[in-house]
Amino acid sequence: MAIINQAAKELQVKIVYYGPAKSGKTTNLEQLHQNVQVPNPDSKGKMTSLATSSDRTLFFDFFPLEAVAIKGYKTKFALFTVPGQVIYNATRQIVLRGVDGIVFVADSQYDKMEENIETFKHLQANLKALNLNLDEIPYVIQYNKRDLPDVAPRDYLEFLMNNREVQVPSFEASAAKCEGIFETLNMITRMLLHKFLNNGARG
Amino acid sequence: MAAFPSLNQEDIDCIDGALRELLKKSEAHVALVVEKAGYLIHQSGQPPDLDTTTFATLGSNAYNAVQFMASLVNETGFTSLYQQGEKFSTLMVNVDENTLVVIIFPTHLTVGAMKYYAAPAARAIAAQITLATARGDKLDLSDLNPPDVQALFDRSN
Repeated sequence: MAIINQAAKELQVKIVYYGPAKSGKTTNLEQLHQNVQVPNPDSKGKMTSLATSSDRTLFFDFFPLEAVAIKGYKTKFALFTVPGQVIYNATRQIVLRGVDGIVFVADSQYDKMEENIETFKHLQANLKALNLNLDEIPYVIQYNKRDLPDVAPRDYLEFLMNNREVQVPSFEASAAKCEGIFETLNMITRMLLHKFLNNGARG
Repeated sequence: MAAFPSLNQEDIDCIDGALRELLKKSEAHVALVVEKAGYLIHQSGQPPDLDTTTFATLGSNAYNAVQFMASLVNETGFTSLYQQGEKFSTLMVNVDENTLVVIIFPTHLTVGAMKYYAAPAARAIAAQITLATARGDKLDLSDLNPPDVQALFDRSN
């Protein structure tokens, strides 16, 4: 859950990029890190990746990013990814601890649909294990890899992935080309800040 | 899981005092108060070239991973985590459900001494967090202008 430090005038918020293996979660963070415009260099922290020797995420990627979203308050967004490989479910649960917002990165390729759906179910189960409920956490869905051949149409992806009682914002993206990733981040940050505004930030 | 409370200046002063006392008595270099979701809450000591934000995040996730290991052997939890290096070592000590103290110290100092001095610091910090939780302050968002958060982040070039 978000951390409020009134003494330092800081709000800290945790956003987790979640999705199946090789869906582009790490690429999202890498592209954000490389391309985000910041008012000063201190607003953008280093990107840390705990990866295997074959460059697959082992534990998580982490990228801290600051903005002045609330007048007088520095807002620190801690962006995380989880490892997508099925064997790392315990690790995904650890990274989800205290999550405020989620970006579900789905792979648009037809042959990845089953993995997308399974991973979404695992997300719900992992949140439940942490006594959290996806219905109460702002989240968006990103349909990544739109630049590849053999991708499913957006309507089909929406039917499969965004058919819960409340439909959430979704975005088409090609993270490798830095397309759609800022729209995704801006929407989840906006949803989070509006949640604080509507509910009154917890003290 | 109870939420971590909003901290005011009095809370930070108390936490800072506890960390300073810990550093003075133990001769450790740096002490961090870290929320277990990965947030750096406060730090004392001035480490050259140390990214304390990243250190706090890595530390909290490592600590959480060890707690997961504890659950696999039916332990209720491992209350501390110690890593020894050639020049520096680190000790992570539980404060409460949501909070850790992370200490970085030169290896010639013993982990036993660190644990000894960390214990009262952890108790003092836990007591202050309990007070802050009971106070239940809320962030005043009256100045928040919703249109300002439409697009916080832009692509450079």
